[in-house]
Amino acid sequence: MIKRINFWVIFAFLVPLLVAIPIFTVFLSFFDTTGNYLDLLKDTFLIKYLSNSFLILLGVLLLTFIFGVTSAYFVSFYKFPGVNFFKWALILSFAVPAYIYAYSLVAFFENYGTAFSILTFLFGEGDYNKNIPKFDGLIGSMFSISFSLFGYVYVLTRASFVFQSHNLIEVGKNLGLSSYESFFKIILPSARPAIVVGLSLVAMETLSDFGTVDFFSISTLTTAIYNAWISFDDLTTANQLSFVLLFFILLLFVLENLSRKGAKYHQNSKGNKPIPKIELAGGKSIFATCFCSILFFCSFVFPVSQMTYWTIKFPKYFQDINFWSLNMNTLLLVFLSSLFLITFSFMTNYGNRVSKNKLISYLSTFSVSGYALPGIILAVAFITFISWFSDLLSSIFGFNSFKNVFIGSIVGLVIAYFVRFFSLSYNGIKSGYSKINNSIDENAYLLGYSKLKTFSTIHLPYLRTNILLVGVLIALEIIKELPITLILRPFNFETFATKAYSYAAQDLLEAAAFPSLCLIIWASIFILFISKYILSEK
Amino acid sequence: MSSNFLEIKNATFVASKKNKIDNVSLTIKEKGEIICLLGPSGVGKTTILRTIAGLQDLKSGEINLKGKTISSGNFNLEPEKRNIAMCFQDNSLFPHFNVLENINIGAKRKNGSKFNYSDKDLIKILHLEDIQEKYPHQISSGEAQRVSLARSLLSRPDLLLLDEPFANIDTSLKEELQKKIKDILKEFNITTIIVTHDSHEAFFMGDKCGILLNQTLKQYDIPYNIHHEPNSLEVAKFLNRGVFVDVKVVETDCAVHSLSHPILGEIRGKLVNNFPAGSKVKLLLQPEDLRHDDQSKLKLEVVDRKFRGTNFIYTLKMSSDEKIPVFVHSHHIHQHEKSEKFGIKTPIFIDHLVCF
Repeated sequence: MIKRINFWVIFAFLVPLLVAIPIFTVFLSFFDTTGNYLDLLKDTFLIKYLSNSFLILLGVLLLTFIFGVTSAYFVSFYKFPGVNFFKWALILSFAVPAYIYAYSLVAFFENYGTAFSILTFLFGEGDYNKNIPKFDGLIGSMFSISFSLFGYVYVLTRASFVFQSHNLIEVGKNLGLSSYESFFKIILPSARPAIVVGLSLVAMETLSDFGTVDFFSISTLTTAIYNAWISFDDLTTANQLSFVLLFFILLLFVLENLSRKGAKYHQNSKGNKPIPKIELAGGKSIFATCFCSILFFCSFVFPVSQMTYWTIKFPKYFQDINFWSLNMNTLLLVFLSSLFLITFSFMTNYGNRVSKNKLISYLSTFSVSGYALPGIILAVAFITFISWFSDLLSSIFGFNSFKNVFIGSIVGLVIAYFVRFFSLSYNGIKSGYSKINNSIDENAYLLGYSKLKTFSTIHLPYLRTNILLVGVLIALEIIKELPITLILRPFNFETFATKAYSYAAQDLLEAAAFPSLCLIIWASIFILFISKYILSEK
Repeated sequence: MSSNFLEIKNATFVASKKNKIDNVSLTIKEKGEIICLLGPSGVGKTTILRTIAGLQDLKSGEINLKGKTISSGNFNLEPEKRNIAMCFQDNSLFPHFNVLENINIGAKRKNGSKFNYSDKDLIKILHLEDIQEKYPHQISSGEAQRVSLARSLLSRPDLLLLDEPFANIDTSLKEELQKKIKDILKEFNITTIIVTHDSHEAFFMGDKCGILLNQTLKQYDIPYNIHHEPNSLEVAKFLNRGVFVDVKVVETDCAVHSLSHPILGEIRGKLVNNFPAGSKVKLLLQPEDLRHDDQSKLKLEVVDRKFRGTNFIYTLKMSSDEKIPVFVHSHHIHQHEKSEKFGIKTPIFIDHLVCF
């Protein structure tokens, strides 16, 4: 039974293989002959691109660490005014993509921007522009990305704090450690793995960010890849730059893994009593409330207010936007991608479970690393592969080129999303599956259930919460996704993200406000929908 | 075609790279027989059940059920097509179904076998009335084990495999359940293989027992024979029934055989295995083999005494430093303290002289 090749096993083999193609493509292209653009880059801007990417990464890591860990610490261990509100309000930052944050930042602080209007309203006419700080360039990128991504660190660190062994903290107190010492000697080290995972997610997202750095005209590796392809029509160079970026990301992966290996002190306190929260009073209470309020304000209220303000102030841009079609396009992509991702992840997981084949298991693990693949690399790799494959079939069998079916079409877009978010979906379903003991399946077989019936009667109903959760997470990612959609979408096909981007690229930030606001509202709805699971303390 | 119900021929079962069970052959002739496989933990008892169920591949040999090959070195019929039910040690109840739904899943199997008990009957017999509406995570492991059993019974299998079915069940309930389940299995002629490490359970439940030791099936026989006529030193040691003392075979020609021990003197009985007179052998001495007699001249020193409710187990030391256990009924009028002398009735008579 186990050795037999059946439908499920074939599935479990083919799906991860498809997902792994872009990764292979990027690696293989490194050995291709290059165009002139790469030589030009090497002599001129490559170092600049690298250093910009690196600087932004450093800044973002520092800021997200401070924002994420501090807020998680406050809401996990203390009672202060608003703590229950902040607990979930802080995850709303996920709803604001970094590039939309960047639009808000510029809109507010630019010359004669919103800050100027407020000051004029409050204090009358004056030359305020020179006194208003400018958040653009590197600093603007760092802040935009940090406020948008600190949620990863917050959610993971908080989960780690909540599940931390209360005994450990009590033992620390018995040994005479002060609160300050407890935090640095016990609480923080035992949450280290969670913090590192959070920071590495932030790092991967930062390195692959396109919308923000492009808006601020900062040249980083991602914008270099985009330019190589769009401006110079040089796919090979785009792929080789992708390789450099991928190398960085893989390096991060390795570092993260190495740091985890020594972290056996991180323990799961299942069954332990929950940590009682300490009531803060006086200055400490005010400080905690202020910190969380400012963080919530900056990460969510500020961009939403800015976008709402402009939407109301410039109603003429409503006419330019086909609101219905933007909604339909976005939801169509969400629906199709979720449907395929969840179905295929389910089948791959089940195939893996049934086959117990090591090769398939390795392949799945490898393909899941596609998550580390920035959208922009993926899009370029996808085009490279389809072009190569189409040319190959044309030259051998004389077929007509089928590039158009995949490039610049909904089909291509959904496939690219599939590759990009397969790990999210696969791992989401896998975590559900890990709770179903193998002997449950075996029992079903022994009671006469076929594999299909076991799948439909036992697994599907049991994992419905996981399906819902994965579906919403995919929706959230796709709504915010920019580079893949931008590159692979059909002509004139717009989503909220691309519409906002195209207006912002034309310096029409006022017009970008409405699609941005719609995007944030949709994303917030999805976040609130799953907040119960993200913040679960069970 | 063979007329045996189940045949396992020269089978090699593989549990892991290091752990396999070689050369297993056993036959269940008639439908409805109950077989118990007895062995220490980790010997591979569960592997045998899983392989019979089709959940693991058979390395070599053959398994035939009702005349049809279901497993061989290069063939493995899928588990769902075997009509074999198995109760796992961890119960494996479906977590999203309640107890009643879990039990009824078994009833959905379409195989035409007759089974007159309904889900309600089984719930009553297995004392599950109070937990019918509960979910698996809300019940104890003993209860879960009974639910799993009910589910398997209701699926009317050709062959039922039970992996340590009474492991988590309270002692007070265990005997009652063992009897009830044995009655059901017998009434409905359900052929069953039970895996256990408890020899009392195996001897009570099984029509036949198999002893698995040192990666093979050491003995396959009726429980009485396994108990009284173990075929090897390993089996006797595994059943942990007493100690071995060195004796010399004196007389084997008469109906009653005779052995001699330098301290215990003459020991009479029937030799289970044949040995020529003059052989030096090891004799199995069990606590119930020796009788206490205050008047006896054969006195041994008490080194330990354990109270076991209905009886005491005295450990006595012979001058050769060999220690032997002896049962004494706990109503016996006076108790012997450590270092005191303890009389043993002579001559010693043991029905089955188990020697190796």
